[in-house]
Amino acid sequence: MSDGPTFQTRHPRHPLRPERVPWRLKRDNLARYFFTAHAFLAVLILALITIFLFKEGAGFFAMNREHLSLYRRSGLELVEQLKKARTDLGELQRFAEERLAKSVKKKLDAGLTLSEAHARTVGERLLFEQLEEALKPLDGVYFVMRDEAMRLRDDVLVYENNRDLKEQLEAAANEKASQGLNLEALRLQREAEQILLEPVDYEARLQPILEKIPEAAAALEEVGRRLEVVFAPGENGAAEPFQSMLSPRMLTFLQEYSKSLPETAQRLAHWDSSKPIHPLRPYTTFLFGGQWLTSSYFQDWFGLLPLLFGSLIVAAIALSIAVPFGLAAAIYVNKVASPREQSLLKPGIEFIAALPSVVIGFFGVAVWGQFVRWVSQFDGLSWLPFFPLAERLNAFTAGCLLALMAIPTIFTLAEEALENVPRKYLEGSYALGANRWQTTLHIVLPGALPGIISAVLLGFGRVVGETMVVLLCAGNRIDIPDFTQGAGVIFEPVHTMTGIIAQEMGEVVQGSLHYRALFMVGLVLFLLSLGINFAAQKILRQRLLKIS
Amino acid sequence: MPSNFESYPSTRRLARTLGILLGTFWGLAIFGVAHADASEGESGRLVIKGSDTLGAKLAPRLAEEFRAEGGQNVTLEIAAEGSSTGVAAILDGTSQIGMSSREVERAEFAKARLRGVDLQPIPVAFDAIAIIVNEQNPLTALTHQEVEGLFTGAITNWATLGGRPGRVSAYTRNSSSGTYKAFKDLAMRRQNYGPRTQKLAGNEQIASEVADNPNGVGYVGLAYVETPGVKVLPVDGFMPEENNVRKGHYAYARPLYFLVDSSRESVVKDLFLEFTLGPVGQWIVRQVDFIPVRAPETMLLAPIEIQNVREANWPLEVERKEP
Repeated sequence: MSDGPTFQTRHPRHPLRPERVPWRLKRDNLARYFFTAHAFLAVLILALITIFLFKEGAGFFAMNREHLSLYRRSGLELVEQLKKARTDLGELQRFAEERLAKSVKKKLDAGLTLSEAHARTVGERLLFEQLEEALKPLDGVYFVMRDEAMRLRDDVLVYENNRDLKEQLEAAANEKASQGLNLEALRLQREAEQILLEPVDYEARLQPILEKIPEAAAALEEVGRRLEVVFAPGENGAAEPFQSMLSPRMLTFLQEYSKSLPETAQRLAHWDSSKPIHPLRPYTTFLFGGQWLTSSYFQDWFGLLPLLFGSLIVAAIALSIAVPFGLAAAIYVNKVASPREQSLLKPGIEFIAALPSVVIGFFGVAVWGQFVRWVSQFDGLSWLPFFPLAERLNAFTAGCLLALMAIPTIFTLAEEALENVPRKYLEGSYALGANRWQTTLHIVLPGALPGIISAVLLGFGRVVGETMVVLLCAGNRIDIPDFTQGAGVIFEPVHTMTGIIAQEMGEVVQGSLHYRALFMVGLVLFLLSLGINFAAQKILRQRLLKIS
Repeated sequence: MPSNFESYPSTRRLARTLGILLGTFWGLAIFGVAHADASEGESGRLVIKGSDTLGAKLAPRLAEEFRAEGGQNVTLEIAAEGSSTGVAAILDGTSQIGMSSREVERAEFAKARLRGVDLQPIPVAFDAIAIIVNEQNPLTALTHQEVEGLFTGAITNWATLGGRPGRVSAYTRNSSSGTYKAFKDLAMRRQNYGPRTQKLAGNEQIASEVADNPNGVGYVGLAYVETPGVKVLPVDGFMPEENNVRKGHYAYARPLYFLVDSSRESVVKDLFLEFTLGPVGQWIVRQVDFIPVRAPETMLLAPIEIQNVREANWPLEVERKEP
């Protein structure tokens, strides 16, 4: 064990240490390098993950442009106009359904049997059926045009795939040939030749779709005429004119819909498949898109909003529960509790953090969701418009469980923040005659506020990033929650950013648009957490500066 | 920092302990990776991946019986996470048999060729998709238009169909599931599910949500129609039963496939396929509430216990080929 001279020069002898302890020094050095290496490795891996995330996500927008361009060139966009005309009347149909349901319910409450109740609500039923009937003319032409456009789109995809295959085979053949493996090269060449490439002639293939436009326009006109007949005042055979069944809002809705029909026909006539995609479109369809539709026969859409809203609603519910509880617990433990209580409460609360999230999720599915719905069915609560609940798995169920997971984070950090308020502040306050509550409320809390805010922010980060619980308990409905129902929105099933990644990552083909879309969602999540953590640290650092 | 680091004995001790722990960790990790690599090449291993519909009951039962019938040296691994994962696993070569409850798409065939995979779907059973509602639901039948309306979101209240008033809660499988897409094809004229439908992970979850929600409606494989609290509704007058499916009366039925890569040779794979399509395999198919691909009358005349099958016509190749 000879010691190199470097040790002597690098590490000046410590006064308490014997002069020559080369092995120990060496060992210490080794340990130091070991740890430095691990620290660097950790940073490196983190950097690599970030780079990977950006790299995989970055291709999304270019691919999305291709995706949208194909959507336009194959005529799917044109067909979507018709689809919209078919579904736009939805609001009126929902109104008709609700009306029917309400009158049936009234009859049931009056003691009639179900069949009697239905027999006495024929007028309301007829309204719904007439609306359905009015939309019928669109059906035939819509499905024909749609299938034609989808076939065109699929042919393009197959062509592109075959083209890639051929190129790869030819490249491989050339490589073999350059290596002198002529037989192999010949075999590959022949295989490449067997792939027949039939470039898709958009112009010719779009023709049958474009030829259908007049028919579609006629169908739209027919829809308008039928609606006019149905809602003509007075004469339609029903006991009560349909028009009088509509609310004023629905009447204006109907008028607007009728007006939109000729406009749609106009748009169909002026639609141009060669118009380039707007440069911002690939970005806006992701960032502000209200639809997340995958494995669709028609067109896949990757819109962030339903997931973002889902994540934020769940997080808001979780925080509005976790913050009061976590804070109150922190104040109690830090300022009121006896040492004995402290030694029980602190580890107790922190123990919650040790529960695996899948266990909490399982508890949510099996017990908590059931319990929430059971409570909602009490008669005393039926004055709430959104009770009783139909869904046991919803944003509220998930939010409560996430609150449970955020409480330890918020509690621990807030308690630490309270602890760090300088003692002299307290002493000053007491000296001026303030009691314990006054001191806590007016001195300690304001003093600890930045720490508490950063505790809340970190709790938020914890909640937004949680996956298992929301996947199991949030209900997985990919739709922007219906804010029109006010507070009831918290009982809507939602889907979240983390949940969608966990649910769909297994099914995607590497490098596909869907795969990249999931990475983009991951990236948004990453930036969100990064922002939160950054804000939390900044607030904390400011406080430290202020105190010192 | 360095001077601090070295001058406190307790820190040093801690450092040493941590160092030993980390060292052990890395050592084990490296050993584990090396070991995993070594065991990869074993011949008696069969990995089956894909559809949840096939993987929940049929595949494990087949595997169990296959092992009992002479394949005891074969290690079978079954992972059921949706048909798309089955196709992906065959394309990536991570499993010998993929399971799919939907047709393989043209684009997927093209992708397979691109990777030199000779992808072959082999139908092993038929599955009928049953429409289930809560047993408190007063409805007794549906038409296919009504089913389409319920899942596309055109019908949102049970009162519209003559039921008790209440918002419809429609439950669907999630998008990695073959049933998700197959159902759009079979029942919805390829339209999308309504935005208010809820995506659940599996048949079991759909059945239990419907059993729990008086306004629920969902679709499940035949293996799940016995779940307490749900009832199956006939569609256009036909229940999802073997005869109706065979005669083509029941609309929502589809073949289930095993996917293989024919360009890769594997004795175990061939034996397992042969077993599945043989009398015992098809008997198990019926046992788990699927419909056998071969007509029952040509296969077995009378209901036969599995022991009898073994004695009667069971000189399976497994015994001949396994040394």
